[in-house]
Amino acid sequence: MNYSKIFHVLFVIILFVFGLSNCSDDNGPIKIGVLLPLTGSQANFGEMEKNSYEMVKEKINSEGGINGRQLLFVYEDDTGKPDIGRTGAEKLINIDKVPLITGGYSSSVTFAACAVAQQYRTPFLVNTGSVDKITQPSEFNLTENDGDKFYIYRLNPPVSEYTSGLESLLSEVVKPASVFILHENTSFGSEGAESFKNICEKNNVKILDVKSYSAGAIDFKPLLQNAKNTKPDIVYMISYVMDAALLMKQSREIGFMPKLFVGAGAGYTMPAFKENAGIASEMVLSVTLWHQTLPIEGALEYYNNYIKKYGGEGPDYHGAEAYAAAQVVVDVLKRCDNDYTPEKIKSTLDKTDINTVFGRVKFSSYNGKLHQNKMSTYVVQWIDGQLKLVWPENLSNAVFSYPIDWNQVWK
Amino acid sequence: MELLIQSLIYGILIGGLYAIIGIGMTLIMGVLGIINLAHGQLMMVAMYITWILWQYASIDPYMSIFITIPIVFLLGQGISKFLLFPLIKKESILPENQVLMTVGIGMVLVEFARSLFASDYRSVRTGYSESSIHLGNISLHVPLVIAFVIAVIFTFALFVLLMKTDLGRSIRATAQDREAATLMGVSAKKITIFTYGLGSALVATAGVLLLPVYYLFPDVGPVFTVKAFVITILGGLGSPIGAIAGGLVLGIAETFGATYISMGYRDAVGLVIFILVLVFMPGGLKQLTKI
Amino acid sequence: MRVNNLHVFLNFEIFILLTAVAAPFIFSFSPYFQGLLIFVMIWIVMGTSWNLLAGYTGLVSFGHAAYFGIGAYAAALPYFHWGISPWWGLLTGGVSALILGYLLGKIVFRLRGPYFALGTLALAEILRIVFGEEIWLTNGHSGILYMTTWVSKYPYYFVALSLAIGAIVSVKYVMRTKAGFFFLSIREDEVAAEALGINTRKYKNIATAISSFWAGMAGAFYMIYMGFIDPEVVFALHNISIITILVGILGGVGTIWGPAVGAVIMVLVQEVFRSSIFGLAPQWVAKFHALVFGLLVIFVILFMAGGVVGDWNLVTAKFRRTKHAEKS
Repeated sequence: MNYSKIFHVLFVIILFVFGLSNCSDDNGPIKIGVLLPLTGSQANFGEMEKNSYEMVKEKINSEGGINGRQLLFVYEDDTGKPDIGRTGAEKLINIDKVPLITGGYSSSVTFAACAVAQQYRTPFLVNTGSVDKITQPSEFNLTENDGDKFYIYRLNPPVSEYTSGLESLLSEVVKPASVFILHENTSFGSEGAESFKNICEKNNVKILDVKSYSAGAIDFKPLLQNAKNTKPDIVYMISYVMDAALLMKQSREIGFMPKLFVGAGAGYTMPAFKENAGIASEMVLSVTLWHQTLPIEGALEYYNNYIKKYGGEGPDYHGAEAYAAAQVVVDVLKRCDNDYTPEKIKSTLDKTDINTVFGRVKFSSYNGKLHQNKMSTYVVQWIDGQLKLVWPENLSNAVFSYPIDWNQVWK
Repeated sequence: MELLIQSLIYGILIGGLYAIIGIGMTLIMGVLGIINLAHGQLMMVAMYITWILWQYASIDPYMSIFITIPIVFLLGQGISKFLLFPLIKKESILPENQVLMTVGIGMVLVEFARSLFASDYRSVRTGYSESSIHLGNISLHVPLVIAFVIAVIFTFALFVLLMKTDLGRSIRATAQDREAATLMGVSAKKITIFTYGLGSALVATAGVLLLPVYYLFPDVGPVFTVKAFVITILGGLGSPIGAIAGGLVLGIAETFGATYISMGYRDAVGLVIFILVLVFMPGGLKQLTKI
Repeated sequence: MRVNNLHVFLNFEIFILLTAVAAPFIFSFSPYFQGLLIFVMIWIVMGTSWNLLAGYTGLVSFGHAAYFGIGAYAAALPYFHWGISPWWGLLTGGVSALILGYLLGKIVFRLRGPYFALGTLALAEILRIVFGEEIWLTNGHSGILYMTTWVSKYPYYFVALSLAIGAIVSVKYVMRTKAGFFFLSIREDEVAAEALGINTRKYKNIATAISSFWAGMAGAFYMIYMGFIDPEVVFALHNISIITILVGILGGVGTIWGPAVGAVIMVLVQEVFRSSIFGLAPQWVAKFHALVFGLLVIFVILFMAGGVVGDWNLVTAKFRRTKHAEKS
């Protein structure tokens, strides 16, 4: 009696859901999946990237869409956790039936979700996740010759190449004798530290120590005190935004004054870093993948439009990566001849060669990596509360401030 | 040697903050007999209130103590009156039902904060929040020193409350022996509800003091919940003096762990001490202080 | 429980079993729903395992993630270091968790009540930190990735279902033996049980062994199925330990079917809201999935202390009363 009623209702619900999930409409919007951390500790970045995706979507749809069809980004919140990211990717592929996934913020989430995409043979265009192994086919039981079986594409450089711009600055201008490396104990942190170590060894810079910490600590002073006592020329730090702010604030507190503080992108270029670290963010150097004043067509326009639309301090390289990924998506879909299947999109991605706000995007194979977009990186510095591009010199919009009198800066 | 002294001082300063978090928990554990797994979350609520007052009404974080603490006190009273106290009488297989209730409350508080403020990080910056005092080679962060001083004042006030007033005596009596206290005419209900409110108010104080040195996001709480019960066990149940000692010991131990072992193991230091105390010194430091 | 009405009872179990076997075929149109069913099974194993320890023996563990995590790493580490298939984890996972349970028991059995709860919680947290820091052994926070064997969900579902059946049957069986009786007596009054000459330490160890074994199996299966673990995922305080407890509480502690019901409710509520009621509601609904779950927990503890199964009579009575009222 009672049961039959319940089953009846359940049955109707199942049918309903079933019906909805299967209605594929040839004239409806083209759905593309986007996996981003929209809640949780990385939501700051996720929000910036989502905003950038939305900007491209609105622009393209107001221009009439893609071959007459509207573009729709289906966002899936990975909450910064690899397991949720995997479920999210599965949902995008199975329920939303998207032929292409983009996004991927944190390294570990992206890597775990890529395995899902690879398994379901759905292309995944990574725009931020940066550990090297994401585009290494060997990690997915494939070889370098398996390009046609490898479904992962990456627009941003891997973490081991983040420092290419910094390397020349160090060897040509700063010429440090010693370095102290601090990193958070995530895959992004430890792999970043490892590759910077290699660069130092190559350039005969003495590595005093490499120390890791877990994100979210209140008191970094014991760590910084240790670092201070080794008297390093430069300190290289790999952190997300709030740890970055605390590290700098507390360095200032204990009067830790190396020649340079260098951040490895991530937290150190975010507007939130300056907001939270205040004066302690001054003169901090950071690696970056992008800056709005670079001579890239559309870069400054994107930066200004973003501020116009969302207010605030404007996007850093994370936003540009997302915007560029969306541009690549649009370009690929336009070249798909109305055949929006994973296989067709994959083969179209292979032939991609366009200029985005993030620079030229072209996927190639090198160093054991497949479908990797190769690009150069830059160095920025917080000068008078502004993030200025200081290296390479020919592109810079500010003079690299060095040497630094910390007593003056931190007054 | 210098490093040692520095670590000691940083540890004591952080320990002062930990102590005030721990005192709230030890009172609640002593009187209600439950682990309050919503402790850090209540602190988070206090931090958000302080942040709102600073952001929208430009009220100095330390001044907002007078607004934040009463609000969280009332919140705590409400929670214990409507959610925790009714459970005392309920028949249930597990005596831990109240603990699980605090888990539920904690989840709701966090998610509520998340729906209001998103997951963004917030922090307050005041004129003094970036200044520090230098004593030789040792620098003292002004907000941390202020926090330490206020923590000491509050602890002292609490001590007077517990030792010198009837209310305080009733609380201590209930903590020692609930049934006997009831027989002596103490209203267990009133004391239970009041104590949870008081515990919430104390952890709210800690939240207000922590905000200028740290930052704020909806998930800031759980770490401090864990620290709070470590301190409580370290100090001994229901003992404010024990909690102060426990807070300082934890602060120093963590700082030394971070300095001499590794920053990654920092949080493990407290937990290992906790297990050792549980197993080898079940009464905690209270055994030594006898209060 | 309607033990004397054995006929109905048997029918009920066969009905559940048939439904469980048929479920993935009913949902054959969507691997996503099949995936949810697999999660339900994992949580049934975890909830049932916890329930034996907490619900029947009175040892309320707040650190079940320790066993889950060890099981997962037992499957993952041989793969990571020597390329041995994680499927062997279905042999090693449970056993390593069982050994860990025995070792941890040496520490936590000295503790009673809330101290036991805190002790288990702290040990699980210590394991989480150690597995995150000892990179040479575990690859630290980078985690361990394994390309899973099949894309199809069917084989995984039936492995998970077997684990769930195994867990439920073993608990059901052990609760019918003398040991089960001793578990209950430890729960009701440990001192009295000891006075009666029951070797409480031994029976606590037995309960822990069975419980940790199944939690370890769940962990090993998680590695095999998800293909990715890191310490923050498998040793998670909130997402594993606490959720396991809530599964038990929702369904009903100290009942055979309670954790199973709790697992269904938990996965259903989380997923219905997380997906904005399968995309039918506006997207902001998704933000409230954890909030709704928290409110549900508060509601159940406040009004149905025995959980859905434990207080089933109360639930049906409520329904009957409203029906009655409608008629009159």
